[in-house]
Amino acid sequence: MDTPQVISTVQKKYILDLLKKGKRIDGRQFLQFRDVKINADIIPKAEGSAEAYLGESFIITGIKYEIGAPFPDSPDEGVATCMTEFIPFASPMFESGPPDIEAVEVARVVDRGIRHGDCIQYKELCIVPGEHVYILFVDMYVMNYAGNLIDTGTISAMTALLSTKLPKAKMEDGKVVWDGKYMTIPINQIPLSITFGKIEDYIFIDPILDEELVMDGKLSFASNEKGQIVSMQKSGEATWSEEDVVKCSKIAVQKLNELRNTLNLRQYTPKL
Amino acid sequence: MTLLIPETYPKKLIDKNGKRLDGRALDELRPFKCKIGVLANAHGSAYVEHGKNKIYAGVYGPREVHPRHLARPDKGILRVYYRMSSFSVHERKSPAPNRREREISKIIEDALAPTLFLELYPNSAIEIFVQVIAADGGTRCASTTAASLALADAGLPLKSLVAGVAAGKVDGKIILDCGDIEDKAGQADIPAAIRMTDEEYTLLQFDGEMTPEELETAISYVKKGAREIFAKQTAAIKEKFERIRQETDAENKKIGKTDINPDDDMLGDEDSMDMPLELEKGLERVKEDKTKSSDKSSKPEKEVNTLKEESK
Amino acid sequence: MTEANTDIRQIVVPGEILTEDSNFLPGRGAIRKGNKLISIYIGLKEVRGKYINVVPLRGKYRPEIGDKVIGKIVDITSVKWRVDINACDTGALKPKDSMDVYDKRSQRGRAKVSSRELEFEAMKKFGLGDMLIAKIVSVDRVSEPVITTVGESLGKITEGTIISVDVPKIPRIIGKKGSMIKLLKDLTTCRLFIAKNGLVWIRGVSPELENLCIEAIRKIEREAHTTGLTDRIQYYIQEKKQERGLK
Repeated sequence: MDTPQVISTVQKKYILDLLKKGKRIDGRQFLQFRDVKINADIIPKAEGSAEAYLGESFIITGIKYEIGAPFPDSPDEGVATCMTEFIPFASPMFESGPPDIEAVEVARVVDRGIRHGDCIQYKELCIVPGEHVYILFVDMYVMNYAGNLIDTGTISAMTALLSTKLPKAKMEDGKVVWDGKYMTIPINQIPLSITFGKIEDYIFIDPILDEELVMDGKLSFASNEKGQIVSMQKSGEATWSEEDVVKCSKIAVQKLNELRNTLNLRQYTPKL
Repeated sequence: MTLLIPETYPKKLIDKNGKRLDGRALDELRPFKCKIGVLANAHGSAYVEHGKNKIYAGVYGPREVHPRHLARPDKGILRVYYRMSSFSVHERKSPAPNRREREISKIIEDALAPTLFLELYPNSAIEIFVQVIAADGGTRCASTTAASLALADAGLPLKSLVAGVAAGKVDGKIILDCGDIEDKAGQADIPAAIRMTDEEYTLLQFDGEMTPEELETAISYVKKGAREIFAKQTAAIKEKFERIRQETDAENKKIGKTDINPDDDMLGDEDSMDMPLELEKGLERVKEDKTKSSDKSSKPEKEVNTLKEESK
Repeated sequence: MTEANTDIRQIVVPGEILTEDSNFLPGRGAIRKGNKLISIYIGLKEVRGKYINVVPLRGKYRPEIGDKVIGKIVDITSVKWRVDINACDTGALKPKDSMDVYDKRSQRGRAKVSSRELEFEAMKKFGLGDMLIAKIVSVDRVSEPVITTVGESLGKITEGTIISVDVPKIPRIIGKKGSMIKLLKDLTTCRLFIAKNGLVWIRGVSPELENLCIEAIRKIEREAHTTGLTDRIQYYIQEKKQERGLK
């Protein structure tokens, strides 16, 4: 049916009945991610790119750059900015037009995960402090919406960043020029994100579309290889107890380490 | 926007052996691949790789028109949204739609409307979303190819598939299927798309300088290229279903089922849903009397006047 | 091209020539173009006597009077419910077509209740998101389809789960004389209702059996154009039951 935004009362009851029995509608465990499929370096004119599937949610990310001025309060650092666009064919709910608030949220949450926790080494993206730095555009396009775009987006964005080949810059006669070689984006820690959904008192990870539409709220964490939490985002009307938050944060670190090992995203780093 | 490596175009686009930049002959098509049913939520979808172009098309419809006042009481409206991803080109493109994209959207609408039976969908819209994720010259042609496949995948009744390809002129020579640089640095560019049942043009534009004789050659090249693309569109569609048949044949063997009466066990007209199409110009439908359906040469309940020509 | 009954139904694409023999007549999914018949769908070519049909493999539901459909209430106005019936237009359900409310009311003594009040009361019967089994009452080119929930086995769905399948595959899920749906019901012990508009209601004794039933339906959907399907589905369900330790 093309009106997923109107939640079916029967389906909501069904999902809840299953949760009470310790089951989910697609047969997964409560703490189980859907299957991930990744292809990197698929866009010839992008400096970096990746398509990622988390279950049937599908996002393509491309990395472009330009040389520009840094932010005044961080003159010796490069810049990375995330954007998300929902393509209308991704869901019957999406209309053509400017990014709606959900898209903006996905972009900002992914952005936060990348910004902190020793991920991109922004100082190494500086060419001339105060004047010339690399500005990276992390552009995520949602191709199919089947729940949990934050985690799908993070996987897609991180793979794209790791696969990026940037032309190296040097100064010549006061101008920024290409020195003939390439560099990868210096990335120390790879953050990944995990989203917990909540329906009444039941908490599970990686909500599929039907769960996402009926759930009372969600809580996303990003964590890096050092086991640090690098971002959190609560959304939706549900409230979370202190105990839940602490428990989820521990599960987040553990599950993401597992996921990171399974995905082995560093394999997508290009050979220069 | 400051980039370190500019896009450069070589002076000569055809070498002394008559080969083009990518080694092709003058009338040679770029590599072409396609697949249908690639986007799970869309009613119909397709993915095309034409040269280094990578394009997804997704269809919704018929569905309600928004805003309502644009709905037509006599027929459905077709809306195409052609968009290029920011990273599909050398210099990052702003995500906001620009005039070129809006023009191309309309061109593609006009290319596909002649294949649809829009009179079947009053007050409704058929919407095609085309997303170019990698661009390499001739995107509007490849987009039309993809959109046509997506319409077919959606199960919408269609008079024909449409195949899109451009011709051009570089270094004084007519060429088929311009690549990116040939498109940008050449002397002429003719994007086109052809409705394959009658080989009529449904998309045709021209940009540059050519004599009428050169134009004639270019158009014949377009036909040649479109025929090749159409053969691949058809093959890709059939291959999808044939592959499943091969798998199931193997499975049948495995479970020891060999004596299959093909008539007995397949989706067929006898049990199929009555999905009537209205009798419109050029369209005929014969409704069989279902109680006599076991008689293979059963007559219809009433005779229908057959039209000699399909009116367009 | 001679057109004896082809052994295996050929896959054809829109615009493909089905025959150039002008003795044949176009059936469903085929149109005449000069002396040729061409397909208008991706589908299975089928010759029945003088007629050549193309059975489409995908397509949207087109409501017809008498069809039993599953719908979802997606909007409530002051005079009706708007129901998503998986077609191009939403269906309209008016309070008088959920008539049993009226019946009950009129039985409750001699109270004079205005029809506006009855309507108002009736509108409380169904809410946003409610799933219904309904019947198409009327369809025309100008207005939206009208449905009713008055009738045997019609009304609100209160349990189970509902999935969406390709409408043209519905006959294959039902099977000749119901053979396939009977197989699904017998082997998975699930209750099933297959609506004409591509929605299938499933209620089983356990989530595992429900999931197995759904998997089997997806397999039918995918393989609807192949031969030997009924036996393969039987084998598939029995094999999975064994693998998963289900009875």
